[in-house]
Amino acid sequence: MKKTTRALALLAAMPLLALTACSGGGGGDADAAAAGSITYWLWDSNQQPAYQQCATDFEAANPGASIKIEQYGYDDYFQTLTTSLVGGNAPDVITNHPSFFPQLASTGQLLALDDVVESEGINFDDYQAGIPELWVGEDGDRYGMPKDWDTVATIYNAAYLTEGGLTPESLVNLDWNPEDGGTWEDTIAHLSIDKNGVRGDEAGYDPQNVEVYGLGLKSKSGIGAFGQTQWSMYALSAGWEYSDKNPFGTEFNYADDEYIDTIAWWRSLIEKGYMPSYQAASSGVGIKDAFGAGSYALVTDGSWNARSYYGFEGIDAGIAPLPTGPTGERVGVLNGLADSVLASSENPELSKKWVGYMSTEACQNVVADAAVVFPALNSSSERAREAFTAAGIDVSVYFDAVAAGSVELAPIANHWVDVLAIMEPAVESVLIFEAEPESLKEAATDVNKLFAND
Amino acid sequence: MTAPAIDRRPARSSARTPTKKNLFGLKRREAIAAWLFVAPALVGFIAFYLWPAISGLYYSFTDFDLLTAPEFIGVANYTRLLSDPLFWNALGTTSWYVLINIGLQTVLALGIAVLMQRLTQSMVVRGVVMLPYLIANVIAALVWFYMFDFQFGIINEIIAGIGLDRVAFFGESEWAIPTVAFINVWRHMGYTALLIFAGLQAIPKDVYEAGAIDGGSELRMFRSITLPLLRPVLAMVLVVTVTGSFQIFDTIAVTTQGGPVNATRVINYYIFDMAFNRFDFGYGSAMALALFVLLAVFTFVQLRLTRANKSDLG
Amino acid sequence: MTTIINAPAVTAPQELDRAPRPRRRTTPKFTLGRAMAWVALGAVMLITLIPFYWMLRTSFSTSTSLGSDPGSLLPVDFTFGAYERVLGLATPAEALAEGGSGASINFWVYLRNSLIVATVTTIGQVLFCSMAAYAFARLQWRGRDLVFSAFIAALMVPPIFTTIPNFVTIRELGLLNTYAGIILPTLLMTPFAIFFLRQFFLGISREVEEAAIIDGAGTLRRFFQVILPLGSAPIVTLAILTYITSWNEYFWPQLVGREEEVRVLTVALGVFRSQTPQGGPDWAGLMAATLIAALPILVMFIFLGRRVINSIGYSGVK
Repeated sequence: MKKTTRALALLAAMPLLALTACSGGGGGDADAAAAGSITYWLWDSNQQPAYQQCATDFEAANPGASIKIEQYGYDDYFQTLTTSLVGGNAPDVITNHPSFFPQLASTGQLLALDDVVESEGINFDDYQAGIPELWVGEDGDRYGMPKDWDTVATIYNAAYLTEGGLTPESLVNLDWNPEDGGTWEDTIAHLSIDKNGVRGDEAGYDPQNVEVYGLGLKSKSGIGAFGQTQWSMYALSAGWEYSDKNPFGTEFNYADDEYIDTIAWWRSLIEKGYMPSYQAASSGVGIKDAFGAGSYALVTDGSWNARSYYGFEGIDAGIAPLPTGPTGERVGVLNGLADSVLASSENPELSKKWVGYMSTEACQNVVADAAVVFPALNSSSERAREAFTAAGIDVSVYFDAVAAGSVELAPIANHWVDVLAIMEPAVESVLIFEAEPESLKEAATDVNKLFAND
Repeated sequence: MTAPAIDRRPARSSARTPTKKNLFGLKRREAIAAWLFVAPALVGFIAFYLWPAISGLYYSFTDFDLLTAPEFIGVANYTRLLSDPLFWNALGTTSWYVLINIGLQTVLALGIAVLMQRLTQSMVVRGVVMLPYLIANVIAALVWFYMFDFQFGIINEIIAGIGLDRVAFFGESEWAIPTVAFINVWRHMGYTALLIFAGLQAIPKDVYEAGAIDGGSELRMFRSITLPLLRPVLAMVLVVTVTGSFQIFDTIAVTTQGGPVNATRVINYYIFDMAFNRFDFGYGSAMALALFVLLAVFTFVQLRLTRANKSDLG
Repeated sequence: MTTIINAPAVTAPQELDRAPRPRRRTTPKFTLGRAMAWVALGAVMLITLIPFYWMLRTSFSTSTSLGSDPGSLLPVDFTFGAYERVLGLATPAEALAEGGSGASINFWVYLRNSLIVATVTTIGQVLFCSMAAYAFARLQWRGRDLVFSAFIAALMVPPIFTTIPNFVTIRELGLLNTYAGIILPTLLMTPFAIFFLRQFFLGISREVEEAAIIDGAGTLRRFFQVILPLGSAPIVTLAILTYITSWNEYFWPQLVGREEEVRVLTVALGVFRSQTPQGGPDWAGLMAATLIAALPILVMFIFLGRRVINSIGYSGVK
């Protein structure tokens, strides 16, 4: 779309303006020592202490360097970034998301980091397979230094399983289909309990007054276009793909029956009283706190969040695989984050050095020891696994899923901000029953218009 | 300090019995002085009102992304506006908001003002009532955002406590706008009440005494004395509050951000989003201009209807 | 708009407050009606005050415990933790453990910024608008009515319409993220301020100024020695209103002044709100932050209460 192209051109030229506006900035002195002050953004507050530690270590090793870490919630993160770019106060280094980086890269917002790979002596064979390649732009340049990987699994409330006469093993071989939901839906139904103690698969279940929902619901967070922790495991296991090709797809498949049927089935859980209403889920309390308050028996969530489900008093959590789908496969999204340097940075040397530091062993190990995410570096990833185990959390389900190859990469595409702007409200209005799943076909048409003029 | 004495004579040159030549010199000097006095304000007016009005008008006919020069595209933005369901949705939600906000606020403020007038002159009462006006919209919004929360909010605790179903005040399309309107009523009703209260104070006491002698009830006196005599003040208050009400942005920016779906995507938020998040400054300007025109028409009609310029006090 | 221009000459409501009011002949009798009226007024005051109490109560609670007793009238699991993390006295790890994010509010910097922005805006706007209002009300010059009409017409323009071009202007001047960028658009004039002051200046007795002229006072001296003192009531009123408005402004400063060094309290609060931890909002921290952000203006209110309250009424009767 023309508008978008224009916006991109604008983004492209912005750094130039930022440079002229900030007279007397650090400049590009190639052999300057890595000193000065830079700002680094991330969105996961749970990872902040680990990266704070990395920053402290980095500052100790580089006298005169100072890293300021700022955190913004994921749902505000990329909008805040845009506002900052327009307002001339963007950070130097950002935690980046594979779906968002192409738009930033192709508009010249990001610095190419191939020289960092060289200067840090990085061999990507030592990293989680498939992750480093995520961060290469259409022009062949690298725009992100991989820092972690993640995938999705089921997390259960062990006490509710026992009460329902189930065991963690009974979650291992569940199957799902969009018609009747398969044994996956049977389990969810069985684990749902209304205020009178009637289970969801028993007669007289009152879907209006539910005490425990069989399945939790996470609002926003890419719920329309990505559905990473919400519906991707169903749609992908039904043989659906996000786009014609990945990365850099130009035609998205939101009009496909597999997608629409998946959303329709998923929404039906709300009507049946197996999943909370979207209105309730999007209120102030998030999926984890609701799980912690005992409102959900099962949730599907990413490995980066696994740890927080274990932190609730009186709740015994566990991790189980995702259900298999109509194709007979289980499929979770394999994703990973990276750090990128913004082109508007006044101190690219220090920024690059910091990005390099975060993707190499010293910092990767600090992150591993914090046991919140799996670092991208294999040796650190193993170390994280041990740290999780030491904390009493068995994360092998995530590792097994990747080892078994039952994963697919997150969609990497241009115009992701615009795709979200179309798909989020579209799916939200379906979830609050203001529109029917069929209406998503219209949204799909709008999405593909975005790519029509490229 | 003492209040200024009142002089209704129009401004005029003030030298006494000046000679012609003298008068000319004085006038000249006065004019120069006047221009100097007006100069700073005039600069401000030209730089931040006149110039932006002209360039805003121009932008509305261009495709403008802030960095490259605006490109003239004729009325394309306006034809787009006519067929943009989100624009009309924004106007609808804004009007719905203004209606609830102003309706509730005016009635409550009038009630509070009359109560204060009949019951107490206490500065403490007046101070408490206007307290919310002192804090920023952002603060008011966040406090109520919490109090209205589905799970943690005290209001839903009370609702659940008396056996009703919890309400997702910010998550339910039909509730979101009334909730936002309520928050702003809370912040502004005391302020508005004080404006009206001042107007009530200006109504001579003997009018009421005469009414009381005629045996009028409180309600009748309110209808036959207070309301008519208060009309000019009410009209002024309405013009000010309605104009202010259309500016609704802060509350939405920190709570719903336009959601659920598009239920609270009011016009100011939509224009902001279009310009500052999507770099479409041309289309944003076109919508802003359309809003300007609509508001101007609206104010004109409102003034006509309320006959603000005619006080029954004479 | 003609109505406003022809608004009736001004009465000074201060007088109404100060002048001995004719007492009611008898102390009001207790009636059911009066009792109900008091109940209604009490309810209004309660609804007004509850959110303030709720801020206080929540800010002293432990965020992670709030869910266990959402209806508690007292702080849940009393702690100063929220204030510690909001003011940056806790480590990110401690903050996280209590349900916060690592974010803090650099209170003294933002307070300084709010003070600078509100004070400079108020002084500039009141001074320049008084000057202009004086010229419009008391001086004879060609073009006066034309210029004044133009100013008044600006009252009609919805702020969003001028915001976009103003942002472009400030950006091209290289004033993004500077005090100047935040202050300039309202520093020199607002149509309301000029209109408001002109109304009052029109009402000041002409004799006093004429006496000054006979004494040979020039325009400047007349303005400072006659008009300003005599017009001090409306000027103070305007100053207070401008200060409150400027202090509470969010839309403009969040566009041009997000940078830490010039960030004002309202913007800081908006930023803090978006720094939601992964789990959901840190309510205790958020309420502590809102209370801290509201505190300066509340303190001002305590010291200037009567003055502020009168100002509001004053601004209405014109």
